[in-house]
Amino acid sequence: MEVQAPSSPARSKSHGQKKRMSSLARNRYFVALLLLLPALGLRLFTSVYPFFRTFYFALTNYNPAFPPLKFIGLGNFLRMKSDMGVQASVSFTIVFVVVSTLLQLVFGIMAAMLLNANYRGRSIVRAVNLIPWAIAMTVAAMGFRWMFDDQYGIITDLTVRLTGIHIPWLTTSLGAKATVIITNVWKSTPFLALVFLAALQGIPAELYEAARVDGASSFQNFVKITLPLILSQVVTIGLFMVVWQLAAFDLIYTMTGGGPGFATSVLAYNIYQAAFGGLNFGYASAISLVLFVLVFIMGGLGLLLFRRVEVEY
Amino acid sequence: MNQPSVPSKPESFLNNYRLQQILSRILLYLCIALFLFIVLLPFYWILMSSFTPRYQMFSIPPRWFPAALTLENYVKLTQNIPFFRYYLNSLSFAFFSAALSVVLSFLASYALARIRFPGSNLVFIIFIVSIAIPQVGTLVPLFEMFNKLGLINSRFGMVLLMASLITPFTVWTMVTFIQQIPEEIEEAARIDGASMAQLLWHIVVPVMTPALATMMIINFIISWNELLYPLVFATSSETKTLSVGLVELAVDPSMGAGRPWDLMSALSVTMIIPVLLLVLVFQRLIVSGLTKGAIK
Repeated sequence: MEVQAPSSPARSKSHGQKKRMSSLARNRYFVALLLLLPALGLRLFTSVYPFFRTFYFALTNYNPAFPPLKFIGLGNFLRMKSDMGVQASVSFTIVFVVVSTLLQLVFGIMAAMLLNANYRGRSIVRAVNLIPWAIAMTVAAMGFRWMFDDQYGIITDLTVRLTGIHIPWLTTSLGAKATVIITNVWKSTPFLALVFLAALQGIPAELYEAARVDGASSFQNFVKITLPLILSQVVTIGLFMVVWQLAAFDLIYTMTGGGPGFATSVLAYNIYQAAFGGLNFGYASAISLVLFVLVFIMGGLGLLLFRRVEVEY
Repeated sequence: MNQPSVPSKPESFLNNYRLQQILSRILLYLCIALFLFIVLLPFYWILMSSFTPRYQMFSIPPRWFPAALTLENYVKLTQNIPFFRYYLNSLSFAFFSAALSVVLSFLASYALARIRFPGSNLVFIIFIVSIAIPQVGTLVPLFEMFNKLGLINSRFGMVLLMASLITPFTVWTMVTFIQQIPEEIEEAARIDGASMAQLLWHIVVPVMTPALATMMIINFIISWNELLYPLVFATSSETKTLSVGLVELAVDPSMGAGRPWDLMSALSVTMIIPVLLLVLVFQRLIVSGLTKGAIK
């Protein structure tokens, strides 16, 4: 996939009409501006402007409960050096995003192939696949928190029945990290499966026919035909998921509150807590900058990978 | 019996092939069963919990099937939180956010897809890149700004924010939708001297109705599920949504130790039902809208 330039056919202009056309063109730009202005204005007003204003607040001690606002330079960033919560959040945010995205991609491809296979009742399975996408992350987090409950949860019960081991899902650091990642993967994999399914449906059947005649195994089919042809979508969605999940908030807020300790704390949760739990608007802005940097670095790396894939295929 | 014990070669090959086919069918159905189990288990558990009397919810080991069913959780839910108020708030928040974003995105997408002007590519890229600005990272300046404008705890303010959040994705998808419509009819109307407003309303909107409906449904679902903006900007029950009600139940100190799973399950079910209906009825539209931008 490629971010295509919206295109319209170039119109040939004869010399005699040049003057009239240029006034028409000016008129056209005006109309385009008029059509774009509401959406663009709203975006600038509620996203781009606040984005830049965060840089300013990050250098202040802004706290609405304790005016006046003072400029404190890098004070907020020095404070982070001794803030265990923020430090733990940076590393878990990265782990959470990378592990989640990789699992979502792998399971998404597997699920898409399942949705693409031929069997009776396929359309029902496809409809079911949409449901996790459509429900609120808050609801999923609540349900899984209850299912992973140490005493009364059915997943805890299921793992005991299957393996004989009582897994301390939410009560230990590692268990809680695994739990939020599992929930996140469960929630978002169907969306990826949907996109990959559309990609699979775009692969011409003749390719598989030819491979079958040549005696290719289904594994060879997958590696030589399927994967290369959906790779562009895999990388695009991977990039999108990385950037998007870096700001994941609902899941952690509803499910664990960052606990136990700081085990599952992520930057988005830290920002919210600093701002609306502690009213430390300045400090919250500084943590936001850390998040922006993370988005920039990981998004940039993803974009490089994207470029490479685009060149190769 | 005197039958030849060694079948001829092609036959054995055929049997082998048939066996393989049957095995792979069985494997396929096992995979489907596992997939359905994983996807549906949470829904089963939430639904069942919502109908289970509270005293039965906490048993060790947990009961996979309820011994008794009751509606009391739903009744208690309406007594514990202003449930119907929240429901109406959620509906209006989701509907108006979706409507506003669809209208604004439609106008912008038409300009981007059809009108050739310098910098159109740049504007498109600005829309797409702004998806990467984390919502949570802009809350502080937004709060300060909305505070000054008197837009805290305002339905209008919340709708503005939500509509803005979903606009880039909507624009991205709609540009693709519009590009797939043949341009000839619009050309003809333009030559006949139709104004831009007439052109959009009489020519483009009728053709775009499925696309507009699609984005309306998708944006409604996304807004219905939104937590962060209502959590920050809705400060009274006049504006709070169901998602806020759900997380407030989770941290409500008056509920004592542990979370009120009975009420939370019931509330979750009421949040799932509308989106479930939309998904089942409009499955095709939703799928086309979600994959439009990524697959060309």
